[in-house]
Amino acid sequence: MYKILSIKISLALFLVLFSGSSITHENINHNIDISSGDKCVEPTDIMRAQHHIFINHQSHETVVNGIRTKKYSLNNCINCHIKPLADGSYPSVKTEEHFCSACHIAAAVKVECFDCHASKPYKKVAKKNIEDSSK
Amino acid sequence: MKKYKIKLDRRNFLKSSGMLGMSSLAPGVFFQELAHARPLNEPASSKNRWGLLIDANQCSEDCNACVTACNEEHGIEDFGRPTTDTQYIRKLNLTHEDSGESLTIPMMCQHCENPPCVDVCPTGASFIRADGIVLVNKHTCIGCRYCMMSCPYKARSFIHENLENQVPHTPRGKGCVESCNLCVHKVDKGENTTACAEACNKDGHQAILFGDLNDPESEISKKLNKYKTTEVRSDLGLNTAVRYRGI
Amino acid sequence: MRDKTDYIIVEFSKAIFIYGLVAMSFIGLGFYSFVTLEHEGHWLTGMNNQIVWGLPHVFAIFLIIAASGVLNIASISSVFNIKIYKPLGRLSALLAISLLTGGLIVLVLDLGRPDRLIVAMTTFNFKSIFAWNVFLYSGFMAVVALYLWMMFEARYNKFVGKVGTFAFAWRVTLTTGTGSIFAFLVAKEAYNGALLAPLFIALSLLVGTAFFYKILFWMDRGLGIPLGSEIIKRFRKLLIYFIFTVFYITILSHLTNLYVTKNHGYEFFLLFSGNIYTFLFWGCQMIIGTLFPLLILYNKKLSKSASGLLYASILVLFGGFSMLYVIIISGQAFPLDLFPGYIERSSFFDGVEATYVPSIYEFMLGLGGVGIAAAIYLFAIMVLDFTPRSLDNAATAMANVPEPVTEEQLEEEKESQEEVVDEKSSVPTDQKTTEELETEEKNKSADEGKPAEE
Repeated sequence: MYKILSIKISLALFLVLFSGSSITHENINHNIDISSGDKCVEPTDIMRAQHHIFINHQSHETVVNGIRTKKYSLNNCINCHIKPLADGSYPSVKTEEHFCSACHIAAAVKVECFDCHASKPYKKVAKKNIEDSSK
Repeated sequence: MKKYKIKLDRRNFLKSSGMLGMSSLAPGVFFQELAHARPLNEPASSKNRWGLLIDANQCSEDCNACVTACNEEHGIEDFGRPTTDTQYIRKLNLTHEDSGESLTIPMMCQHCENPPCVDVCPTGASFIRADGIVLVNKHTCIGCRYCMMSCPYKARSFIHENLENQVPHTPRGKGCVESCNLCVHKVDKGENTTACAEACNKDGHQAILFGDLNDPESEISKKLNKYKTTEVRSDLGLNTAVRYRGI
Repeated sequence: MRDKTDYIIVEFSKAIFIYGLVAMSFIGLGFYSFVTLEHEGHWLTGMNNQIVWGLPHVFAIFLIIAASGVLNIASISSVFNIKIYKPLGRLSALLAISLLTGGLIVLVLDLGRPDRLIVAMTTFNFKSIFAWNVFLYSGFMAVVALYLWMMFEARYNKFVGKVGTFAFAWRVTLTTGTGSIFAFLVAKEAYNGALLAPLFIALSLLVGTAFFYKILFWMDRGLGIPLGSEIIKRFRKLLIYFIFTVFYITILSHLTNLYVTKNHGYEFFLLFSGNIYTFLFWGCQMIIGTLFPLLILYNKKLSKSASGLLYASILVLFGGFSMLYVIIISGQAFPLDLFPGYIERSSFFDGVEATYVPSIYEFMLGLGGVGIAAAIYLFAIMVLDFTPRSLDNAATAMANVPEPVTEEQLEEEKESQEEVVDEKSSVPTDQKTTEELETEEKNKSADEGKPAEE
């Protein structure tokens, strides 16, 4: 009796803990600023599935080979995708207002990039974004 | 075996000698450019070897311009914990034990050609780039600090706390080891200088000179040829890219 | 060559409950410390940019060295064919696995980025001794598991010699690899010497033997597995040999350094400057860790008693721990000499002796490793029959019976094998109550006469 009960309990726990993979993409809010360009460097469905592959490849190219081309540069992604909140400050990567965290918090996959990388654009670009949005 | 007939009529002769003439001139025109600024999509190569020449005679004890500039450039915050706060570059004050003679020099990662830190890193995160810059690949660093144990210059620091205000061109985060990277983001963009060298020159001291050790026409190579310079701890045979004059 | 020792599965008892509770609380402390350090960062510890490796690493290396040394007991019987140690073989291998696991866990949890363990196990720089150690440590687990299998499975007992030799070689390589972590460091005066590898091997033998004896004593008092005077005599001799070996290599390395003027800075800092490392070296390592145990082991009365040997073992373990603390920490505390002849000062603590004050988090993390080692051991002895039923003189004498040579002896051997199989199938050991087992043991020990106690 206990054996079957323990199997039932473990099954229930398994379903509860691993149901995160059932989160879909459509019902999540995105905060994309389309003033700096009308599309991403790759089509949306490719980016959705493979953005980590582009990021990983570029990280190797930049660090080991010193290649700093703009297209797949992480800073370029951030300059476009992270726009300031209404009061001019940038969203923290721990909140869902941050573009990356909007999906990653829901899917519970930690974005370890921002342990080291700046999660917001540099001051110079920041000023430009504010100017653009106030126009 | 096929026999090739050489066509040596006047037209071909003029063509080939013209090509030969142009190609002998071209290096003088093009190669000089490559030594300073390589295109963004070209990888770093061993054509260059970036280094520093530090003139201790020009360095003054109460000046900290290089340290301040470096901290600002890389977004290094002061947490008020000197034993654990990162220092890429520091001013070293030396006083001779017997004579009392004193001098001061900036000390940073020496970018050795045979770096002990690269030898001991278990994952290969500590590596030497093709153009001689010794870097930590923070994607692979596991934070074991073995490289810090092995560095003869105590050049490396470990990040002991969570960071939030990184600058985009110098990603740095808790749990990884870091050190002076010879302002690799500036080097790759072709700016041909480092933050510390820039600040030292602006301050008027001109004690730090950045350049390509592999380029015989660069100012640093000319100075290395002309003046007597030394490596720190040269007995270790590491062949550092940072050389000192006046010590 | 079948192993004739009678092994038992240990029942859950008060002794196991108490030790299990202590082990679990250590694990809890270690876990709490790990989670705190992982969230806050290493600024909470006493380790900094000057003292890069601290108390967790002393614990980890102590446990790893103890693991390697504890396997030596099994090697003595398999490799050097001294049969009286045969009943201890399974325990020795089990303790090797538990201690190594405990040590490695402390090492991994102290990493700046322990989440990158997968990276550490898949990306390698083969010039680094750390990378080789990853293979040596994980391979050790596999080799010892194989060794255990050979020891457990009766029909494979004939392979125990060969596998035991392989395990012995692997263990020596592993300890050399651990010592080489420091021996390969060019930068620091205190290290950079090939002598550190044999020093670590000698230390592992000493610490492993002392640790194993502590377990034997606990088995006698806590689990009721009687310890015979024969084993005590053997362990006394082992401890004496290994204490002298460690002493010899230590003296050799320091005397050589004292001859070389270049290394006088570090030697005077360690041996004569009156700081904590001087106290640890002379007081803890030399006097408490070497002299006092030798006094006990040469004392006529104490050296024959189980408790006397226990005191000697505990002192040796304390001395060994201090020795590792001195090697690891003092080597980092002594400043690098970038410009010989000059006094160096900077904002990065050049030229000054670094101070290290371990924080409570580091101590808790180390305890966590000890707890995990203990928990694995306690769990394993309750699940499989690692523990010999008795280690008194009769049991060890039986293990010492020579192998059959003539045909008659072979026949006798076969018959007695069948007898034992019948015996075993009639009344399975784990169905006997603990009381029955205890009365049996009491009767046995009453017959032989227990060794002198305090």
